[in-house]
Order: sequence, then C-alpha cells, then structure tokens
Amino acid sequence: MRAGALGLVSFGLDPLFLSRAAYATCRPTVLPSNNRSLVCLFQRGAVDGLSMLVPHGEESYYRERPRIAIPRTAVVDLDGHFGLHPRLAPLKPFWDSGSLAVVPAVGSPDGTRSHFDAQDYMESGTPGVKSTTDGWANRYCQNAKEHTDTPFRAVAFGPQLPRIMAGTAPALAIDDLRTFGVGGRAVAGDRLTRAFEALYEGSATGLLATSAEESFEAIRMLKTANPSARSTEHGAEYPRGRLGDSLRQIAQLIKAGLGMEIAFADMGGWDTHVNQGNDQGQLALRLTELGQALAAFSTDLGERMRDVCVLTMSEFGRTVRENGTGGTDHGHGTAMLVLGGTVAGKQVAGRWPGLAQEARYEGRDVAVTTDFRDLFGEILTRHLGARDLSAVFPGYTPGKAPGVIR
Amino acid sequence: MTRPYILAAALLSAAPLAAQPALTTPRDSALHALNRLAYGATPGLADRIAREGVLRWVDRQLAVTQADDPGLKGELAKFDLLSTGPDQLLRTYLEAQRDRRTDRRAAAADSAMAAMSPQERERRMSPEARELRGLLSQAPQLVVVRAVSSEHQLAEVMADFWSNHFNIFMGKNIARVYLPSYIEETIRPRILGRFEDLLVATARSPAMMVYLDNAQSIMPGAEPPRVGRQGARRRAAAMPALPQRRPTGLNENYARELMELHTLGVDGGYTQKDVTEVARILTGWSVARPAQGSGFVFNGWAHDQGAKTVLGVGFPAGGGEDEGRRLLRMLADHPSTAHYISGKLCARLVSDTPPDGCVDLAVAAWKRSGGEIREVLRVILHSPDFWAPAHRAAKVKSPLEFMVSAVRVVGGVPDSTPRLAGAVGRLGQPIYQHVAPNGYPEHEEDWVNSGALLNRMNVAMMLAGNRLPGVSVDLDRILPVTSDHAALVAAVDRLVTGGTMSARTRRVIQEQLAGVTDPVQARAFALGLAIGGPEFQRQ
Repeated sequence: MRAGALGLVSFGLDPLFLSRAAYATCRPTVLPSNNRSLVCLFQRGAVDGLSMLVPHGEESYYRERPRIAIPRTAVVDLDGHFGLHPRLAPLKPFWDSGSLAVVPAVGSPDGTRSHFDAQDYMESGTPGVKSTTDGWANRYCQNAKEHTDTPFRAVAFGPQLPRIMAGTAPALAIDDLRTFGVGGRAVAGDRLTRAFEALYEGSATGLLATSAEESFEAIRMLKTANPSARSTEHGAEYPRGRLGDSLRQIAQLIKAGLGMEIAFADMGGWDTHVNQGNDQGQLALRLTELGQALAAFSTDLGERMRDVCVLTMSEFGRTVRENGTGGTDHGHGTAMLVLGGTVAGKQVAGRWPGLAQEARYEGRDVAVTTDFRDLFGEILTRHLGARDLSAVFPGYTPGKAPGVIR
Repeated sequence: MTRPYILAAALLSAAPLAAQPALTTPRDSALHALNRLAYGATPGLADRIAREGVLRWVDRQLAVTQADDPGLKGELAKFDLLSTGPDQLLRTYLEAQRDRRTDRRAAAADSAMAAMSPQERERRMSPEARELRGLLSQAPQLVVVRAVSSEHQLAEVMADFWSNHFNIFMGKNIARVYLPSYIEETIRPRILGRFEDLLVATARSPAMMVYLDNAQSIMPGAEPPRVGRQGARRRAAAMPALPQRRPTGLNENYARELMELHTLGVDGGYTQKDVTEVARILTGWSVARPAQGSGFVFNGWAHDQGAKTVLGVGFPAGGGEDEGRRLLRMLADHPSTAHYISGKLCARLVSDTPPDGCVDLAVAAWKRSGGEIREVLRVILHSPDFWAPAHRAAKVKSPLEFMVSAVRVVGGVPDSTPRLAGAVGRLGQPIYQHVAPNGYPEHEEDWVNSGALLNRMNVAMMLAGNRLPGVSVDLDRILPVTSDHAALVAAVDRLVTGGTMSARTRRVIQEQLAGVTDPVQARAFALGLAIGGPEFQRQ
C-alpha cells in the first residue's frame, strides 16, 4: 500500500527528525536557528473539519450525518475519540512519530460565513477589521528584524502575492521557479536580465530601484543555487497538480538554503455544498491530494524537516448537520494540521467543545475554542522566534496557546 | 499668486516657451496631463494636444457628458454583454443554477472543478453556465478596451476611480451577475455628476446590496408577510439563487463601509453606535427576488420603524424608505465626505501624498458646487499643484495603468477576448476581483514588488515583439527598422517617453543594443527595454 511505503521511507531516513529529545528543553530561551521555516497551506473554500479530523467517538456526529459521516471502520484512529479521514492515512506515520498535531475547533472570533470576508480576515490577521492593508506574514517579516532579509524570505506560490504576504516587507510571488525571471524570444534571458538590471541600476529611484535590485538578486541566487535541479529525495512521490508542484518547489527552495522563512501555497475545491461524499467521493479526492502532498513533502525533506513547520488553514468549517443535497453549508470552527520537527505531535491540541446542541456556535456549527491567532502566534513565537506579536496581530491580546510547538 | 496664471498662459500657448526654461513646454505639460487624467499617450497625441492647448484639451475632457466615446461604437458592438439586459443575464444565471441543482452529477462535478483542467471544466458546464461565463468575462475586458481606445480618457479614469471607490467583488455569489449593470447603469452615467446621485445609485444597486449584505439586513424578529401555499412554493423555487439562509437580523456590513469607505472616511467622526443606527435606517433596502427581475425593493416588513440618531441628527419614528434617502443626502453633504473624497481624488491625480493646499482647493470646490464631481476635478486639474514639476512622474503606475499605457504608447489594438484583462490580473490587479470593499490601493508600495516588476518587464518584451496575446501591434507604423542604434533609441525615446528619457537611460539602452545586428530584433529589444524600464513605470 502506497501510504505505508511512504511512511516506512520516512521512518527509515529521518532519525534526527524523529528524535525529539534534543529539542525538548531550553526553548524558547534559545533563539531558533535562522534555518527555520514555516509553510502555510490555505484550503480555500472552507474545508469540512469534521471530515478531515473525524470525532468518531461522538454519537451525534453519526446522527447528524447519515449519508456523509466517515464510517468508524474506515477512520484512521488517533486517540480513540478523533481520527483522520482514511485518505489522510499517509500522515498517520507522522502522528505516530510525534511530528503531527491536530487542532479541532479552531477558527475566527468573527462569525462571518462569507468566504471572502473570512479568508480576508485569516490572511490580514485582523478578524472583523476590513481596512487592514497588509497580511500577518508580511507584518511578521517587517517586525522580526533579527532574521536575515533575503529576496526569498517570504515566497508565495501562485501568480499573485496573496493577501497574507502583502505589505511593505519584500515578498516574492513565484508561479514556477523554472520560469521566474525575464525571458525573451528576440534576446536571450541572460542578456535581457543584464540589460534590465543596467537600466534599473542607472535610472530607477526609490522603491522601483530597491525592488528591481531584489528581483535581480533573486534571479542571481536562483541561478547559482539552481533549486529546480534539486531532485526529489527518499523516494517521495508528489501527487500531480498545483499543490504537489508548489510543495515540491518549496522543498527545493529549502534545500537550496536561500533563506526562505515563510512559504505559502493554496488549494481550492473545499466548498462541498453538494454530494460531499464520505470515505469516497469528491472531498475524499481532495484529501487524497492533500495527504499525499504533505507526506511527500515531509519524506522528501527528510531530516531537514526538523526546522520546518507546515500549517494548514481554512477560512471556516462547515455545518455539523449534513444538508439536503448530501453536502454541508458554511459553518464556523474547522480543523487545522500542524506538521514538522518542532511540533509537539501526537496530540489533539486545544479544547474540543463537543457537538452537543448547546455547545455549538449558533446552535448549528462547531464552536471556536482556539482563536486562529493563538495558533499562528504560537508558531511564529516558538517555531520562528518572533519576540513581539503585537504588531503582527494588532489589537489582539493573545489567549492560551494551543501548545503545538515544543 | 501670479504663478498659476503664468503657468496657465504657458499651457494655453501652442508654442514652446523657449525663453523661460524654468517652465516646461506645452508638450511636456501635454504628456503630464496624458499620464494623469488619461492612460498615457498614443503615437502623436501629445503633439496634437500641445497644438490644441493643453488646458483646452483638459477642459474638453471635463466637458464630456457621456462616458462612452461615440467613436468606439463599432468596437463596443463586439461585446454581447452590452446588449444583454440585466434581467436577461439574471435569467441565464437562474437557468444555469437550476441545471446545476437538478443534475446531481453536474453538481458534484461543479464542486470538484478546482481539481480539473480548464478544458475539462469548460466541457462539463451546462450551455447556460458557459454562456453566462462568456458574457461575464467580457466585463473586465471592456475596462481595458475602453481605457485603451476611448477618446474620453478622463471619463475612463473616473470610471475606474469610482468603480474602485465603490468596489464590488465579482466572485461573491450572485454579485457577478449584477456587476455588469452596476458598471453600465449605476456607475458610468454618474462619473462626472453629483456625488450624492452616485452614492444613492450605488446604495440602491443590487450589486452593492448583495456584496455588502444589506439585502439580508432586517429588523431583528421581523417576519416576511405570509404567502399562500402556492406562493410559498413559487418562492422556494426562486430562492436557490440567493443561497443565504433566511435572514434573522441586522447586518452592519454595508452601514459600516458606507461611512468608512464610501463617504466619511475611517476618521470621519462616526461611532459604532452610528454604524448600528445606519444599519437600522437601511433595514428593508433589498433586492428583488432573482426570479422577479434585478431591481431594488424596499421591504416595509423588514424595516425598523423606531426612532434613530446618526451623527447627532434625529430620524423620528415611523420613517420608511425616505429616511434612508435623507441619511444618504446627509452623508454626501458631510464635510468629512468632502475632505475624504477630495483627498482620494488628489492622491489619484496629483500625488500619493497630495499637498494640503491642493486638497483644500478641492474641498472648497466641493462645498461651493454641492459635490459636483466635475467642478472638483476642474479645480484639481487647474491647480498649481497638479502642474508642479515636483509631481511630474511622481506616481508609479498601477498594473492596469501600466498595461493600458503600454498598449496605447505602441498604438496597439486590443481584441474582444478576455486575454488582455487576464494579463492585467497576472500583473497583480485582476479587474473586479478585489475581494475587500476598500478597492485597489493608490500607493506605489502596494504595486511595486520584485515578482511584479519582472512580470512587467516580460509583458513589455512580449508587447514590443507583437507577441502579447489579446493585442496586435503594427511596429512598422511606429518605429523605423534601422541599424543606426542611436537613431533607433532616439525614436524609441520620442515614442515611449515623449522625448523625456534621461541621457543615462538612452546610453544604457544603446550599450545593450551593441552587437545586435538584426535591426528588427534591435527594434524589439530597445522598445521592450524602454517600456519595461523604470521611467515608463512612472507617470
């Protein structure tokens, strides 16, 4: 079975990644190394947290979802109460080795059920405030000065810089590492690059000058480090599609040592209003891709994973009860996965409010017991070493950290 | 105080003022005007404007009474969207929705679409869905085509300004179906008129009411009137188009943005209490059910009849739809509004951080004219700050401004496919796709980042080689094929930067051409460098 094979490979080649004792003490007094990186994966469209992380120990889960519940026999059990969707089985070895933590009932304090508002809030880091112009990842880069600024410090995979990375700190949007740069038909890429560089060196001022400098520096660094030439290691197999492509390239950047601190990728297809399916079906297909991509990424990076933390996020969860069309509607709390060498794994973090009617948000949705800023904030502080979150999440008084980072 | 008059004289005169080197030539002024109240020069246009007199041309732009340039009629006829009425668009949408719902298989496919290739997605769509998508994809392209080709350039700049000020995100549910009429019927006829009219029109537009949720905002506890069984069934059949659950109370979304973004500004002096009161006043302002057309409806049953107070002004109990009108008038007339929007106009037209004096002049004109946009613009465009040398080339172009000005400067002709609008999106400014209601930003730090600059360079090279999809360029018409590189660079300078290119840039381009023996290649190279270079990023 494919999932098992991936797991074994990972076990065999990751002694450091798996040995947690070395990192168990002394933090956060020891500043995290400059090699640390955070990979954010946005599941756009609001993933059904209850299918990703199944509360199979709860009767009401099966009562409310006669057609779409994941059968107990199929769930990949984690702790007797929660289990992973069967298509996330490739992640089970990471749970067993203590590098995967799961956070149920996480989300925004804002009650909006609008995708666009909720995504906006999760990326700006200011729920309820629409006028924020930059994203929290960018504000982190603006404020954490001790980390070396390289053009690759914050990289988003996709044609545009996402909201989460927008702001005054340098951030790169890369569609494809292999085509990043200037190229032409009339003139060779190198020559064209030199020409534009000379042009901007001489005549640009202000931001145009510094951004151009960063671009050409990035092109040069890519040329020297040539991350695209880094082959996938340890037999990892990335699934076909944009997510797999993005994660493979993020791994290449990490291997090339270009100073990337925050990477971002996203995937759509989670807005399952109709015929969501259970252990089979359309949601299962998306989770297959997610599970394979995450497992391939961890396997590929091998012991380098000790400095990497992968965080999945989604704007909100979905209704506890299935709707009339075999799907789920927009809800509130969802689930997030945290994977990596610094993760205090093998635990269900945060407080689970349960699915009892009175415990639900507005009587219908999973309540939020972990503010997403407490989760993100803990990772920024304990994994990346952020000293001050007040500028990253302005106006927010941090609550209890879910304790996902050792 | 004499300086503006001397300046004005210089701008009106057709001949360059060689005797006064401190003042720029009419041609320079024409270029500046073209960069700010237009989307840049087209071949020969700066000279024609300089001959006409720059201020005369500016006043002609201000005098436009209809947004669309009559000369564009043939071009616009290629866009079916413009001949598709809002009700017809809505019918197509409803049919596409019904297909989606009745055909389970199609429905499942639709939700899994993100995983499919675009071709696969296209194949699985129902004919109605495909038709709708085709029609709606014309909306962003229309922005580009009009901006490139219209003679009514200031009108297009203002259409962009107002559709951005009153931003609608096309991706939000049914808002995309309402967007075309929002642009064509709500915004474009009012771009140079009274601000209050524009404000009221947007407040009553289905697009805004859906986008900012006012359509669902009702007095808490209010119940719609009971309908007969048949009516209920009919309604149930119509409801799927609005996927929200039945509303249960107040939604403050529009009320807040109305004050924060559309009128007073975030520091305009309102409180959370005012937001709630405004939301109460606007309860019942809603949208007709999609099956019954695309218009505004006032639902008396949903309206909060109690007394309200906004910004210290009382709205007595028993007011209906009219108190909403009164509220909008009050907000439009508020001094904070005059100041906030004048500041935004100056930031667009003069400088990212406009001088107070310029904003004050605009505010005075706003108050004098009762918020006549045309008069406010007239004062800004005639102000010394607008023409001050310090503000020339002081702004970085947005992706839309860059793309449109690049196509214009080479005399390019865009086609009616959505490809050019798509390219603007890939440069970072997808049209009608700004999610948040604040619209695209106006400051250079929001547009200049390393990946984005490289993309601009690539677009420039493709355009210079006539290889940019969606536009055709007749290079032979605009530049000579010559092996004299100095002459080539001079011609490129004249075409792209109106002869204002720095000596250094000219030298660097010429150096880079060294060794390029093919004159056609050299031409594309020099032109691409000029358009992708730093000077053309500014305006």
